[in-house]
Amino acid sequence: MTYTHLLRLALPEVIIVITSVIVLGVDLFILRGSTIKARFTAASLIATLGCAAAIFDLVYAPQQAILLNGVFLSTPLINTVQIILLALSILTLLLSSESTFTDHVGEFVTLILFATIGMMFLVATQDLLILFLSLELLSLSLYILTAFNKHSPRSSEAALKYFLFGAMSAAFLLFGFSLFYGLANSTSFTQIAAAIQASPLNPLVIIAIVTTLVGFGFKVAAVPFHFWAPDVYQAAPIPAATLIASSSKVASFFIFFEFMAIALNGTSGAASWHPFASGLHFAAGWTPVLALIAAASMILGNLVAIRQTSVRRLLAYSAIAHAGYMLLAIVAHTPQSLSALVYYVTTYALTTIGAFAIVGVVEQQTSSDDLSSFNGLSRRAPILSACLFVFMLSLAGIPPLAGFFGKFFLFVAVVSTPGLVWLVILAIAGSAVSLFYYLQVLKRAYVTNPDDDTPFRTPPFTQLIIVLLAASVILFGCVPNLLIH
Amino acid sequence: MTWILPNLWLIPALPILAAGIIAIAKQPHRKLAASLAIGSMAVAFLLSLVAFTHTLSISHGDNIKEAFNLNWFQFGSDWVRIGWLLSPLTVVMLLMVTFVGLLIFIYSIGYMEHDENFTRFFCFLALFAGAMLGVIISNSLLLLFMYWEIVGLTSYLLIGFWYANPAAAAAAKKAFLVTRIGDIGLFLGIAWLYHQTGTLLFYDNGAGCLEPSALNALVSHTTILGLTVSTGIGILIFCGAAGKSGQFPLHVWLPDAMEGPTPVSALIHAATMVAAGVFLIARVYPLMSAQVANVLTPSIALQVVTWIGAFTALFGALIAVAQFDIKRILAYSTISQLGYMMMGLGVGGVPVGMFHLITHAFFKALLFLGAGSVIHGSNGEQDIRHMGGLRRFMPLTFATYAVGMLALCGFPLFFSGFWSKDEILHAAYDWPLSHTPFYMGAIGALLTAFYMTRQICYVFAAASRRPLPTHSFLHDDYDSAAAHHDGPPHESPSVMTVPLIILAVSTILLGFIGAPSWPWFQDFLQDKHAALNIHAFSGNGIVPVMLSSSALVFIGLTFGWMLYGRKITHAEQPDALQQIEPHTFSLLHRAFYIDALYAHTIVPLNTLLSHIADKLDRWFFNTIVQAISYLVLGVAYTDNFVDTYFVNGGFNAGCATVSVSARVLAFLQRGRIQSYLRYVGLAFALAAALLLWRAKA
Repeated sequence: MTYTHLLRLALPEVIIVITSVIVLGVDLFILRGSTIKARFTAASLIATLGCAAAIFDLVYAPQQAILLNGVFLSTPLINTVQIILLALSILTLLLSSESTFTDHVGEFVTLILFATIGMMFLVATQDLLILFLSLELLSLSLYILTAFNKHSPRSSEAALKYFLFGAMSAAFLLFGFSLFYGLANSTSFTQIAAAIQASPLNPLVIIAIVTTLVGFGFKVAAVPFHFWAPDVYQAAPIPAATLIASSSKVASFFIFFEFMAIALNGTSGAASWHPFASGLHFAAGWTPVLALIAAASMILGNLVAIRQTSVRRLLAYSAIAHAGYMLLAIVAHTPQSLSALVYYVTTYALTTIGAFAIVGVVEQQTSSDDLSSFNGLSRRAPILSACLFVFMLSLAGIPPLAGFFGKFFLFVAVVSTPGLVWLVILAIAGSAVSLFYYLQVLKRAYVTNPDDDTPFRTPPFTQLIIVLLAASVILFGCVPNLLIH
Repeated sequence: MTWILPNLWLIPALPILAAGIIAIAKQPHRKLAASLAIGSMAVAFLLSLVAFTHTLSISHGDNIKEAFNLNWFQFGSDWVRIGWLLSPLTVVMLLMVTFVGLLIFIYSIGYMEHDENFTRFFCFLALFAGAMLGVIISNSLLLLFMYWEIVGLTSYLLIGFWYANPAAAAAAKKAFLVTRIGDIGLFLGIAWLYHQTGTLLFYDNGAGCLEPSALNALVSHTTILGLTVSTGIGILIFCGAAGKSGQFPLHVWLPDAMEGPTPVSALIHAATMVAAGVFLIARVYPLMSAQVANVLTPSIALQVVTWIGAFTALFGALIAVAQFDIKRILAYSTISQLGYMMMGLGVGGVPVGMFHLITHAFFKALLFLGAGSVIHGSNGEQDIRHMGGLRRFMPLTFATYAVGMLALCGFPLFFSGFWSKDEILHAAYDWPLSHTPFYMGAIGALLTAFYMTRQICYVFAAASRRPLPTHSFLHDDYDSAAAHHDGPPHESPSVMTVPLIILAVSTILLGFIGAPSWPWFQDFLQDKHAALNIHAFSGNGIVPVMLSSSALVFIGLTFGWMLYGRKITHAEQPDALQQIEPHTFSLLHRAFYIDALYAHTIVPLNTLLSHIADKLDRWFFNTIVQAISYLVLGVAYTDNFVDTYFVNGGFNAGCATVSVSARVLAFLQRGRIQSYLRYVGLAFALAAALLLWRAKA
């Protein structure tokens, strides 16, 4: 194995790194004097091209390899997830091209690309060290992106909270990883699994499991590690919030699943409910803890979302609830539930990007993301509100939109694991409650009269992207097979 | 040439389609309506010709009943199947109906020229023709019954075409109700047949209900009074046929149906529709004649058909003697002739009955159209006492009418009616059970010659007895020909006379395809090869029967001429028979008081029953319904109460709980990072404690 080989394997990541350098250079040296709009356009265009090149490489020259006992992998599934991540990053970049909140354009776009690199490495490893490093690369990029709107004190405050929370979670995670390393004398998932198999469930392993769960729980914003999410979703610049809510979720959930299913396979325990035999049956392991976290996320996310008046916070709590649904797939940890999870998180990410883009446009026009800003949206921006209609109903899981099939596949996968029906019933009840607050947004848009009737001046390019997103949500709903394979 | 079999449905479909288009066309589009109806009939006629040549081309001796069946819909686990049938019987009827129908359609252009509802008339005519053709091609008793009912409906619509005339409206209602009574029997027969055989297809590669396996099953079961099931079903089916074909005692609607326009009388109540009953019996003849093996006497069902037919033949002829309305005479004559056909089916089988059906269709259509021409020419007059001497004014009508009259009388050798009636009489003479039907038929034949002579003398001979214009017309405002001008009698336009001539020629020619010397028609129906056989006359007692029936015809003609020829001078003069036998004449004139009998027995009984039903409905069933409705109301109130206070209340309480817990949970998020991190630590401690505890346990 040579370095050339390694570089060839990591070519998509290398392309993104080079792209980020080009973006930075072009912005600093060539477009110094141009308008912010031109710089954003140029930067996001170059970045988009870079991502597209990486996708091209992944599609047309896919590699298959496992390097250094799982430090770096390339399999069809991982390639697919990487393509999804790159596509989501492209959408985020294209939607950010109309932003005006900062004049550090090159840095902003570069950070988005760095986050993307972090995510790509994150999903492509089965090694604790690389996992932690790439997770930190992702997290640090996101902290900075959150703080990027220097005109808004709330942006900085949210970023600080996010950073503190993240730092502590990272400490937990690293602590847990160090315990695993001590146990297995290796950082490889498979070695850890073998070591745990040999001596199951001593207190050290339990502590390691719980600390790891805290770290991952922070990344996916599950209760009770979710407190950062509403503040960040509300205060971060729209592109940053979009990135946190979409592609970061995809990458985190994927690696969370892989870690739990591979490294901790021997200690899964049980969290089954047999209503006529022994009631709730907990066998020690990580699944009961995760099941509790999932249940708490679904309950709290859906209930608190009802009370929100800020649409961004509403989306944050909805994200917490959705994290609860997705955790069910990890609780089940079957191959079937992995594919259901990937489908769910991808369609969820698409929908969330669209919803955030609409929130961004509304914010730009009314300078508020309050529910009342959406009053009479259907008259002020009919196309946008039609897309909002699609996104909200997809989030609520109404057929034939993508959100419905995501939930459907996920719940089917979970139900086929015995004893988990109670979680699915809870999830379905939560979905029913969620319809209430999604419909409240739509009611504002379609029923309530607007305070002023002036039509929105939506940037045509942004509108085009939003319409494409809505179309893809409908398409994946009508033809779910497109994504499954 | 197999193209025609799967596409046979086009023949009824085209006129029905035309009717549909005419129905949505606007009233002034007269030319469109007429040309659509006539065009569709012409195409149907051509298709019938194609079907005819196809049937001819098949070698004789094979069983040439070709059925085309298809699944219609699933009913339980069975498929209801329908289909159409191409057989000699079908094509003969198709040719007759389309040809006569076409001529009558053309004739109607002239006759209905002044009617404001011209398009509606053609719509109904086309619908009628389509339904009749559907009856003919059906290979399923169910499909046949459906078309049969459409025929009944169009008959109702056409009799009541001048619905503003109360007599026409009443006649239409009467026709509909009386035929429905027969149809109840038919429907019961269909249901019974389906119950017994599980199929209503006539022919279905051995599985149809008219094929040997089903028939054997039917004759092997007996029911009440020792009758076989096939007899029971046959008699029930005959009830429907009797209603449609005006057999005693369901004949009462047919004379009243003459309230309709004359082309309708010609098409429906003489040539085609009334023949549907006879056709039905011919179609299900294997069922009617089904008899236990080795028993050579005719089946009981056929005996019933024979007796009813013979009685009706005599009965109709008797009444026709004492009528004064030109159309009513023909109507009773039709009843009588339909009786002959039934009798022919009963005693001689399908060829005998069908041959008379076909010849009768031609000459009776001819007579009715001639009568229409007479009415048209004498400005709406229908009472023969007020006519007379029309021979001079309408020579063409007279000539053709005379042909029809001689055919109806059975004038020897040159007229088709002679051959067909003679064959019935011959078959009746050979009937093994009794000679009575033969004598009834023979007397009927004598009477037929007599009343037709009487009619012709009244209408065409002597001098005109036209009353003053102030004299009340029978149908002054309704019959279209009436009152549009008031001059001397005149010949009708050529659009009316040409069909008359064509029909007259056909009437004469038809006789030669069924005469005993070359019985092509009968052999065609029976899949035999026709051969010229002059010696046929010498065998089997044909010549004596022919001679005696000819003698009867001559006696009838002579009597008629003696009593009526040149002796009628003025309109108020009593009828010659009336002078001789006033009571008998009055009895005959009132049609044996059958209508009055019904009016005083069945109608009051029905009224009484309806009153009882009304009272029962009002006091008994209504009370039950009221009680049930109060019960339902009570349940509804209870339901409403439960819904309001338990379900809704519970839901509201649930929503309130959700809302309160949302507020409590939102309280956790107060924006202080210190407390957030504290929660995380707490959660870590709790989870670790839980797992450690469980792991130990």
